[in-house]
Amino acid sequence: MTLLWLRIAVLLYGVAALAVLPAALYNRPRWRHIAMPSALGAVFFHFVALAEMLNAAHHALPVDTHETLSMLGLLLGAAFLILATAYRTVSFGIFLLPVAALLTLVPAFRPGAEVLDYPLLHTGWLFLHVALLLAAYAALLISLIASLLYLVQERRLKQKRATPARTWLPPLETTDQIALKSLLFGLPCMTAGLLIGSVVALETIGPAFFADPKVLLSLAMWVVYVAMIYIRRHSGLRGRRAVYLSGFVFLIVLAVWAANQLSVVHRFKAP
Amino acid sequence: MSDQTKPGTLLLVGVNHTTAPLDVRERLAIPVGRLADATRSLAGQPGIREALILSTCNRVEFLTVIESANGVEPVTALNFLHEYLNIPTAAVTPHLYTLREREAIRHLFRVASSLDSMVVGEPQILGQVKESWNIAREVGAISSMLDPLLQRAFSVAKRVRTETQIGSSSVSIASVAAELARKIFGSLAHKTILLVGAGKMSDLAAKHLIQQGATTLLVSNRTEARAERIADALRTPEITTGVIPFVQLHDQTHRADIIITSTGAGQIFEPDDCRALVHRRKNRPVFFIDIAVPRDVNPAVNDLEGCFVYDIDDLQQVAQQNQVQRSREAETAESIVQLEAERYGERLAQAPTTEAIKQLQSSADALREAELARTAQRLANLNAPLTPEQHTVVEHLTRSLMNKLLHPQIMSLRGTDTKRRNDD
Repeated sequence: MTLLWLRIAVLLYGVAALAVLPAALYNRPRWRHIAMPSALGAVFFHFVALAEMLNAAHHALPVDTHETLSMLGLLLGAAFLILATAYRTVSFGIFLLPVAALLTLVPAFRPGAEVLDYPLLHTGWLFLHVALLLAAYAALLISLIASLLYLVQERRLKQKRATPARTWLPPLETTDQIALKSLLFGLPCMTAGLLIGSVVALETIGPAFFADPKVLLSLAMWVVYVAMIYIRRHSGLRGRRAVYLSGFVFLIVLAVWAANQLSVVHRFKAP
Repeated sequence: MSDQTKPGTLLLVGVNHTTAPLDVRERLAIPVGRLADATRSLAGQPGIREALILSTCNRVEFLTVIESANGVEPVTALNFLHEYLNIPTAAVTPHLYTLREREAIRHLFRVASSLDSMVVGEPQILGQVKESWNIAREVGAISSMLDPLLQRAFSVAKRVRTETQIGSSSVSIASVAAELARKIFGSLAHKTILLVGAGKMSDLAAKHLIQQGATTLLVSNRTEARAERIADALRTPEITTGVIPFVQLHDQTHRADIIITSTGAGQIFEPDDCRALVHRRKNRPVFFIDIAVPRDVNPAVNDLEGCFVYDIDDLQQVAQQNQVQRSREAETAESIVQLEAERYGERLAQAPTTEAIKQLQSSADALREAELARTAQRLANLNAPLTPEQHTVVEHLTRSLMNKLLHPQIMSLRGTDTKRRNDD
């Protein structure tokens, strides 16, 4: 059944991702009535599928790549719903929903079969570690999208082109708020996620854990993340420079993700 | 059919901004306070069954349902004008338009959808039609014909608003400025406006922004007394106002989110000033609405990050582009209205025939049931009552006979109706 729920979720993400295009880009508000329920249904089925998947695997956290991607997709889908409800804009769906659909597509049609052997696999701490870091990544992605939307809207306003009142782009201040608030949400998630991961790894692996490339990159990512929030808050960085900064941090996140291939700790080999 | 059951004729008589000059419209205008009394009075005119009055600054219209037999319909409305408003009919007649049946329906749908307005797509007209409808309902001036028609007009207007973008863009300078401000700041709640200089258009733009939620207004003028007068005039319990001495303008500008400038005294805001301004605002955006000629803000300021400068030509250009866009949307809206009016007219035209067919079927059915009951009673008296199964069979037989006998008459009625409509 898990795969069926996941496939339904993929289908609904796809419908929502398509419906959001006319709703946002062509000013057809009726499509919103398709996009929103579809996205809500997708998130619901996705959650059910993920819970069943983890339950069936007798572990509480997404450990293999497919499960992790799936959970990130779920977080992005949920983030879209929160943004659409709080700010009454479906624009973020143009980016978030296709990404959520793609991240769910692989586990739905090619479920992973990794055999895992890790002492703390069944504890809630590792689940928290992974979930919090994924939430931080999702927040960073949203912040990047918001900064890009800010840039587009800023350019349009400076070019003085007439646009309908109901444009797909949210007002500048709204996108700026979303960018900053998502970063502020992501920071405690990232901090707590890294701390939990460090404590668990120290107990199971020992100080050698700190020599792991992924761990070192993660710490660097945290420092840059904090620096970015500091700069944004204290100088009110917006527009092009904000996009560059968010893009830079996002590249580090991708590097951290890719570092799984080099990491001993994160490949879940028994210590 | 009695006179009351006979279908009435829909008649619309009125003047609007295209047919009558302002002085005529002024004389005909009925204030909201007197609308109930006027509607009651119009509905009480001989030959009028239902009535509704729509009175706005751009139109005065009398929508009525009159007796079909009455051949002097427009005269009734003219009599009303003469009696109630004390206006000589000769003064109004050249400006009046008279629309009947489907044309009246189409016109009403166009009015409610804001296609007949001076500024096409403006949203106020729908509210005004609804107000007239409410008043007419309250005084009992509308019933079976106008009430559903008005409700349909509201649905059509809603459809037009939903399916087209006829009202989505602003077409006046002041509303374009307010719309642009919303694109920058979203909600204008708690935003501060700075008026530099004074003028009618800057006042209007400020009022528009205040309507959108701005709560603080600062005024700066070379003549401080004038600035104080403007601030006093715009101060309300919800709006905080203040005066900035002109010499301190650059020291205080950072307090404002939106700067409306209209001094025409040369470039008061140069890129260097604005760079410092944005720095003091910690990169928060600032919107310059420069309606001065010559311009008060150096156009290069628009290139600075966080500064948005729109001069009078820019605003005018956006308004014109919006107007073109609105006209395109109006074409789509016209086809929606046309289709809906045809549908409604068709339904209305079929109503008398449908009613006649219903009456014919109902009388024949009553006759059939009476005969069936009498026959059943007779058989019971002969000690040969019908069993329930037999009763069902006989019932079916009589119904079938009745339908077959009525069929030619019904077809004939429908045929006559179609012919009449084609002839019309």
